[in-house]
Amino acid sequence: MSPIAFLLTQGLNALALGALLFFISIGLTLIFGIMRIVNFAHGALYMLGAYAGFTLAAGTGHYWTALVAAPVLVAAVGLALEFTVLRPLYRREPGAFLLVTFGLALVIGEAIRLAWGPEPRRLAIPAVLGGSVSVAGEPFPVYRLFLAGFGLAMVLALWQFLERSRLGLLIRATAQNAEMVHVLGVNVRWVRAGVFALGCGLAALGGVLATPLVTAYLGMGVNVIVEAFVIVIIGGMGSFLGSVVGSLLVGVVQTFGNFYLPDSALAAIYLAMIAVLVWRPRGLFGREE
Amino acid sequence: MASPYLECREVSRYFGALAALDRVSMTVERGEIRAVIGPNGAGKSTLFNVLTGVLPASGGRVTFKGWPLTGLSPWKVCQRGVSRTFQFTALFRRLPARENVRLAAQARSSGRWRPLLGGAVRAETARTADLWLERVGLEHVADVPAGLLSHGDQRLLEVAMALAQGPELLLLDEPTQGLSVEETARTVEILRHLLAKGSLTVLLVEHDMEVVFSLADRITVLHQGRVIGDGTPAEVKRLPAVQAAYLGGLD
Amino acid sequence: MAWGLALIGVAAVAPLVLPVFLVTTATEVMILALFALSLDLLVGYTGLDSFGHAAAYGLGAYTASLLLLHAGSPLPVAVGLAAAATALVAVPMGWLCTRTTGVSFAMLTLAFAQLLYAVAYKWQSVTGGSDGLAGVPRMAGPFGVTWFTSRTGYYYLVAVCLAASYAFCRAFVASPVGTTLLAIRDHERKAEALGYNARAYKLAAFVAASFFGGLAGALYAPFAGFASPELFFWIVSGQVLIMVIVGGSGTLIGPMFGAAFFLLLEHYLSAVTDSWALVLGLIFIAVVIFVPEGLYGLVRRRPPAVARSRPAPEREHGQPVP
Repeated sequence: MSPIAFLLTQGLNALALGALLFFISIGLTLIFGIMRIVNFAHGALYMLGAYAGFTLAAGTGHYWTALVAAPVLVAAVGLALEFTVLRPLYRREPGAFLLVTFGLALVIGEAIRLAWGPEPRRLAIPAVLGGSVSVAGEPFPVYRLFLAGFGLAMVLALWQFLERSRLGLLIRATAQNAEMVHVLGVNVRWVRAGVFALGCGLAALGGVLATPLVTAYLGMGVNVIVEAFVIVIIGGMGSFLGSVVGSLLVGVVQTFGNFYLPDSALAAIYLAMIAVLVWRPRGLFGREE
Repeated sequence: MASPYLECREVSRYFGALAALDRVSMTVERGEIRAVIGPNGAGKSTLFNVLTGVLPASGGRVTFKGWPLTGLSPWKVCQRGVSRTFQFTALFRRLPARENVRLAAQARSSGRWRPLLGGAVRAETARTADLWLERVGLEHVADVPAGLLSHGDQRLLEVAMALAQGPELLLLDEPTQGLSVEETARTVEILRHLLAKGSLTVLLVEHDMEVVFSLADRITVLHQGRVIGDGTPAEVKRLPAVQAAYLGGLD
Repeated sequence: MAWGLALIGVAAVAPLVLPVFLVTTATEVMILALFALSLDLLVGYTGLDSFGHAAAYGLGAYTASLLLLHAGSPLPVAVGLAAAATALVAVPMGWLCTRTTGVSFAMLTLAFAQLLYAVAYKWQSVTGGSDGLAGVPRMAGPFGVTWFTSRTGYYYLVAVCLAASYAFCRAFVASPVGTTLLAIRDHERKAEALGYNARAYKLAAFVAASFFGGLAGALYAPFAGFASPELFFWIVSGQVLIMVIVGGSGTLIGPMFGAAFFLLLEHYLSAVTDSWALVLGLIFIAVVIFVPEGLYGLVRRRPPAVARSRPAPEREHGQPVP
């Protein structure tokens, strides 16, 4: 394979992976930005999205239905969780959130195991996205191109939403100064609940997109949550740009790292997180807390 | 007399372009009670935070008994014999009042590093704690968690904690803030009684002018981070710059 | 006090009257109780929620296994050395971790534990890779002593270790260092203003917790007969955290009951239903929200050393423990 082809294909792989990681990490960082909580259950919600997506796609026969419906469903679950389980905790010390969301991660994981069983669930790539195209002379899966493209589109869409729309402005304002927003007559509780639901929905979207690649399997939530944390910490908690850059960085490191040093890829991620937490806890773009 | 007891030499502290402290110089003699006054934002609490190492100085030096204080972390500053109270009451809210004072006393005892066999240290610091609780009149709430005490009692508890450490230099940051007239009078009385006894040197930030004039030997006036007046209460009252900036609205 | 003596009495005679498999269960309960006890030093007394305490557990287990398998060390020596080695590793690890607090601390400890998991998984030559180290023997000695190699004997060994560790921790939390940890937990800035080097105390707590966590792991490996990378996994860290919180943090005793509760739930519920982990998770969430002082705190009718949530005005006044 020519060096250009290698770089191009691996680069596209990294982009595709970065796109998937973005969907999970942006939800995590949005939730932190607005609620100042670290949602340990985020990986489990990603997994829920994957399994729900599988069932919906298998049931209706349409992948696209699943792509839309699963995130909506999981967002609804997230809304319910915020309303019942998380509300009582706002007045408590921040450690309580961490513990409760951790408990939720366990509960959701177990519920999935009970409902779907221990076997991984395969989801076929939809026909229109199947096959491969030629990239610099090498075959490259269409689905990964789709992921990269879709991810880019969503980054732009979300960015526009946060920057330009009224709702986006509301969200950013609440993240900066919730009291002020409250004084201005906005129901902050609904903003918080809404952002939490949005974050969960985005994670689920990532899950549905990932399933044709990696299958829906128990433990995918666990694997992804640590990566998501690494990204959010490197990029900076609560920073949109940080999430984008972080996802790309980790995508690149994982893709090329897996190629050159397959044994150390796993350890490298954890070392990166340790390094960032120790020497620059607010990440590349995070705010000084 | 050798080098001054507490000396600030051209101490500055910047937050970006804003000079919270601008080349503040002052000298405090041993046994003195020095009040630091000034309008809100004058830099009084910032001065305390720089003195105690909570904030690093952007420039200048602070020496205490000849040793440099600048650059030391807060716990090291305290170990040099400097104790303080905070503008916003800082206590161990979930621990009983007695334990608060006992911990303060324990911090300056050599036994504070013992991971085991601390019975003697515990007993001695408990005695010190009871003594100081009694002196400030809080012995009746010794077992109450500090967070449940009234605001006035909490301020007094903080003072008791600072004094239980046996400091040589005491920094009091607005000790009567938020207190009723009666609580203020009680606090001043207690302070005066305690200060009259020992050879304690005190730096006092206060807004209440009556408290200042009844306790202070000398006054330093800060305005927008700079010293605009320094002297006995009588002298300071007369300075035109001070009158203009601050004392113009004496209540 | 009377309860304690009664418990000790029961524990002393238990292996003589219980059926054999219950003795094994009881031994496992005690090992987990020690593990939970060690974490309470961090969570309940220093206020540092570690999500990576499995690191100490796994380090203790692997070190003991290697000593028993390759160095032929007598069991007590292997266990002791393993605990000490874990504490030693905890010094640089703790030094880095105590630079942060709160969520960052939780994530950092998680990262370290996962790092060790990855290392244990990959370092085939030393750790046996994903298979781990099997056939860990209960080596006899020194002086050919073998009373602890039998099932009952091992029970007593673990019991003695647990009792000694508990006694140490009790004395520790009442000591100047221990009481300072409570102050740091309550208001670290104030503790620093009073002259306490908070960082040093937090490091001490971290090392102490790692020592006893390592001890638990070192006792586990010869008990189970193997050490595997799963011992480092975040699920294990989560389980011991659940034991501490559900049992009642900040009491030393609560976490031990939490460990018993957890294990008994696992054993009996898993025989009845497949969803015992789900039930445990729900219980955990309910406890955090509604019973923050834990089951033991509830039973005691007096809040523990330092109430886990903000004090409500109508609660009884707390007393430091003891």
